[in-house]
Amino acid sequence: MLNLHELEQRWLRYKIKSYLPYLAIVLSVSVIFLSLFVFLREPSTPITKNITPIKAPVISPKPQVILKPKQPQVEKKVLTQKKELPQVQKEIIPSPRSTNKVILSPSLGFMKKMQTDQQPYYKNEHTNENNDVQIKAPTVTVVRDDIQHVEHPKIETVKKISITHKNTHNDIAEIISRFKKNNNPALSLFVAKKYYELGDYRQAYNYALITNQINQDIEVSWIIFTKSLVKLGEKKKAIKTLKQYIHQSHSNSAQILLDEIISGKFK
Amino acid sequence: MSSIFVNSKDVFLDIVNAKDYVQLDRVSSIYQSLKDSIKKPLKMILLYGKPGTGKSMFLNKLHTDLSSTQSIFLYKTPILDESEFYKTLAQDIFGTRYSGELNFTQFMKIVEKKEFQETPVVLLDEAQLYSDVLMEKIRLLSDTRTVKFVITLHKTEKEDIIAKEHFQTRIWETIELENASSSELKIYIQKKLMKANCFDSANMFTNKSVNRIHKITNGNYRDTNKLLYTLFDLYSLYEKSSRLSNIRTDQVPNKLIEMSAIHTGLIDA
Repeated sequence: MLNLHELEQRWLRYKIKSYLPYLAIVLSVSVIFLSLFVFLREPSTPITKNITPIKAPVISPKPQVILKPKQPQVEKKVLTQKKELPQVQKEIIPSPRSTNKVILSPSLGFMKKMQTDQQPYYKNEHTNENNDVQIKAPTVTVVRDDIQHVEHPKIETVKKISITHKNTHNDIAEIISRFKKNNNPALSLFVAKKYYELGDYRQAYNYALITNQINQDIEVSWIIFTKSLVKLGEKKKAIKTLKQYIHQSHSNSAQILLDEIISGKFK
Repeated sequence: MSSIFVNSKDVFLDIVNAKDYVQLDRVSSIYQSLKDSIKKPLKMILLYGKPGTGKSMFLNKLHTDLSSTQSIFLYKTPILDESEFYKTLAQDIFGTRYSGELNFTQFMKIVEKKEFQETPVVLLDEAQLYSDVLMEKIRLLSDTRTVKFVITLHKTEKEDIIAKEHFQTRIWETIELENASSSELKIYIQKKLMKANCFDSANMFTNKSVNRIHKITNGNYRDTNKLLYTLFDLYSLYEKSSRLSNIRTDQVPNKLIEMSAIHTGLIDA
């Protein structure tokens, strides 16, 4: 005997069961598309991948060994010309600032400060402009060149630029290794700035992010981070990040940068 | 007064009756070739196909059509006992009644004594149930040309009967019956209903609904009959419970087809 109600129930169950495979296909396809969309929009996963390997210490003993001998070299060279140096410094200080080449000397102080670990982070902003300072050996030679040819034409300055560029990567590696040791956000921020200057925006982004993770209050790290994002073609994300930061900090420089990004001045 | 649904339901009762034979183009041509084969001097004709393709109906129709003009004997159910089989044939074909045991040698003596102007035709349905020994005797009997056999077999996937040696050498004609196509099934259903004056019910079967039925039954006549019997049973139940307004009556809805299939086991739900 047919039971209509029971049969209708069975039919309903059958219908649901027959639609399940289609539902599963639709769901899986939508999940794939969604994940693809998210993956293409936010390159956050590869960045974190980049970050983790950086943290793993690889070269630990070298930096100290290299740094120490370098400083003495500098001092030695200075010492060998004991008689000349005092005169040189007196002459140099006024002239190089006007030409923007000899401002390398303050960076040495910055580097020394790094070694002492606890430094106020914001003070380093001024030294950023003198990023070339990092390279100590060249700076000394530059100084000497300038000393000898204080009044000579610009040909010498071209040489100086090429010298600093050659040693930049070694110095960054040095700073990185030091950063791995003491985890000082000032160091990572410095590295971020350096990478940004060198045009390695991916690394600049990474180190700005690392700096931010250690200390969220460093304004420069936010700025480097967003600038790198813009350079990497992630303008929307940069704007979003800056807006969030401005909302929290009411930073003027961040606001200026945001305006520049939005107006297209900063590309 | 019984409703159209009850009448339509009865149309699809699983009964093999030559009167219910539905003329379809392909089936008719096969039937004609079978009739022609019987007229030929063939020893044995094999009719095979999957269950529910209409083999029994063919034999019935053949028997009905030829019984008035020819000596033809139909055995719908197999006679499995050998002695009983010979005794039945001796009585039906040769008019010799035997009270005791009858073996093959004795039966052959009876066969040799009789002479017919026209070879009698024996129709054996469900021949796959006969033992190999008996089948061999049937083969020997057909070799004498005193009796012509038309046998029907199930074509199974495991074992292809036609490949059997004793059939391969002696069967002169093999006819395979197949399931109906979707269009044939529509004609089959509608003709069957119209034969019983159920015109409204016949009009309910649109191409869409027949396609759904065909998908479920694979065009198997027996399964289709079963499904449609349940379908009209469901209609009559809806009618009884005054819920007929809930379902479509201008055409057969897929829901009812599927419900019938679930009930008959054609759909595993």
